[in-house]
Amino acid sequence: MIENVGLYLHLFEKFAVVLGTILYLIFAIIISKQTSMMSKNVNDKFNYVLITAAYLHLIFSIILVLLSLVIL
Amino acid sequence: MSRVKDVDTVAPDDPIVNPQPSSPKKTVTSVTLSAPVVEAVVPEEVVPELAEKIYSVFGHTTTPFSSSLVMPKIFSFTEKNDNETILLALRSHWFTNVPWVLTFIVMLFVPNLIGFVPTISLAANLKIIISLSWYLITFAYAFEQFLSWYFDVFIVTDHRVVDIDFNNLLDKKFSEADLARIQDVTSRVSGVSQTIFNYGTVLIQTAAEKNELVFEKVPNPDKIVKVLQDLRHVAEKDNNGGLE
Repeated sequence: MIENVGLYLHLFEKFAVVLGTILYLIFAIIISKQTSMMSKNVNDKFNYVLITAAYLHLIFSIILVLLSLVIL
Repeated sequence: MSRVKDVDTVAPDDPIVNPQPSSPKKTVTSVTLSAPVVEAVVPEEVVPELAEKIYSVFGHTTTPFSSSLVMPKIFSFTEKNDNETILLALRSHWFTNVPWVLTFIVMLFVPNLIGFVPTISLAANLKIIISLSWYLITFAYAFEQFLSWYFDVFIVTDHRVVDIDFNNLLDKKFSEADLARIQDVTSRVSGVSQTIFNYGTVLIQTAAEKNELVFEKVPNPDKIVKVLQDLRHVAEKDNNGGLE
């Protein structure tokens, strides 16, 4: 019985973390879209660096989701 | 029908008769008694002279991260007209970034500090995920703050004054006022940091329906007021050219 509780807790923990990382991934998608939109609205010398940073952030968010699925 | 020809003796109930434009660039959009609503276009030949004036007030800018860009070559915005020249692009003063930069630095060290709390014991793989998530959240926080600072711009062109605000990542606000519609420009510097670093608010009263444009936390507000007053005078002079 106690072993089962431990298992359920572990499953819940894994589910919560994966859900959190997926929500974060959605947030990262919004950030990258918004950065592109802002860059279109206000065009400046440094925009490409910001867009690159936004997409790098998105890539790391995808890696985080995959990592949470694999190692937890 | 107008009763008088001399502008100095125009009665309040006299209809304003706009003269024929002296240059083809001037366009009469409508006529009212309360405010001149002639589209303000600073003549092209005046722009270099104005640019020199603005350079003398603000100096030359060399970095795209500057809070005040004078006659920026690459800078542009979607609503810009082809015949429009950007004279000045302003962002909030750099000092306004200090609070979030400090928060960012503190956030960077939080995972290390948690290690010292003996009651928190997590599985190693969970620790890795949480730490990575935390660093991503920290980056996102700083990035969002930077984007807000970088893309919230106040632009002065030879036609108008523009305020582009991104209140958060999903909200864009665009406000503009023609130079000839500007009635009054005031600046306000209040508080210790604003006084030390010389930044503050510039209020632009206009004759338009939405009658106020606010440039918040901009550097050198007194210089901005001077530049706007100069531009306003040039625009007014150009619009009233036929009457003088």
